[in-house]
Amino acid sequence: MSNVTAEQILATIESAKLVKDVNVLDQDKPLRDQGIDSLDFSAVLFNIEEAFGIEIPDSDIDSLQTINQIVLYVNAKV
Amino acid sequence: MIAITKIGTYLPEKKISNLDLLDKFDTDEGFVRDKIGVVSRTRKQPAEKASDLCVKAFEDLMSKSELNIDDIECCLVVTQNPDFNIPHTSAIVHGALNLPENCACFDISLGCSGYVYSLSIVTAFMQANGMSQGLLFTADPYSEIIDENDKNTALIFGDGATVTLLESAKEGLVALGFEFGSKGAGYKNLINDGKLSMNGRAVFNFTAATIPVSVNQLLEKLNLTKEQIDRWYLHQGSKYIVDTITMRLGLDKDKVVFDMYEYGNTVSSSIPLLLSKDLENINAGEKIALSGFGVGLSWASAILEMN
Repeated sequence: MSNVTAEQILATIESAKLVKDVNVLDQDKPLRDQGIDSLDFSAVLFNIEEAFGIEIPDSDIDSLQTINQIVLYVNAKV
Repeated sequence: MIAITKIGTYLPEKKISNLDLLDKFDTDEGFVRDKIGVVSRTRKQPAEKASDLCVKAFEDLMSKSELNIDDIECCLVVTQNPDFNIPHTSAIVHGALNLPENCACFDISLGCSGYVYSLSIVTAFMQANGMSQGLLFTADPYSEIIDENDKNTALIFGDGATVTLLESAKEGLVALGFEFGSKGAGYKNLINDGKLSMNGRAVFNFTAATIPVSVNQLLEKLNLTKEQIDRWYLHQGSKYIVDTITMRLGLDKDKVVFDMYEYGNTVSSSIPLLLSKDLENINAGEKIALSGFGVGLSWASAILEMN
């Protein structure tokens, strides 16, 4: 798998019903500043791990704050 | 046939409000109420031990039944916070309740999966030994091991105890089947190493990935569908985890019981606390599902039917 897009990441978040409307998310702004609390953020990571078959260690989380950071990270892992 | 016929419970009167701790933990009421699902947590008196909580749950059971203490043939206590490492807490309960000398007593060391595991154990034990009446206690006072400054755990756990009366009876809740499992490699994610510590993300991942699969495997084994289950009793780890499992299993929310706002996560007592409130209202022929999960990492699921 390659070229995971922001739309795929947003679709994963949407399918997990973590945000009412993923289209309002700013892709360069930390998710935690956009109404996604610590529990939702754990669920976001879980759903991404599941959807793309990757493992995200706790040590990588600090660098995964925005949608675009997640896109780059997932593309490097898949 | 061994059936659950009555459940006695005990929740300490003393409570600690999470709403008083919002500033301390930099959180808000919405998160505490809608995500954790715990507004206040029950707290035992410092001198009270697990066996004391069991005795109080038994007093509640006695108020609900015409039980003769001399007829009790086995007494199990599920706890990981026993009165002492030696002896087993069930022996202390045995002495406190003046149970007969020919009553078998032993403890089960499990956390949040403990009630479901122990239902299978006590049912099999009673059947294998021709017993007619047994008591299954749960009491795991986490207040003894909580770090009140640890946001990961301080807002979640409450103290409580239950006792389930199991009888050889024609009427009552009877187990149709169980499913068990462990992921021991993850044991450090929820551990008491002086004080309780929890990797919330790891425990969430374990639960979200494992429990829906476990439940579906059990349903398949019993040739049942989700739609044939009338009520779901999931371990009350937090509202978030109950909601997550509900969504991932595609359950009707109205059939999923949730009630921990006023007392918190009581570990192995959470499922019998829920059941005790509903037991009288489950009709003959109705099926319910139980699933406990947590420390270990361990899980157990069961389907029961009211006869």
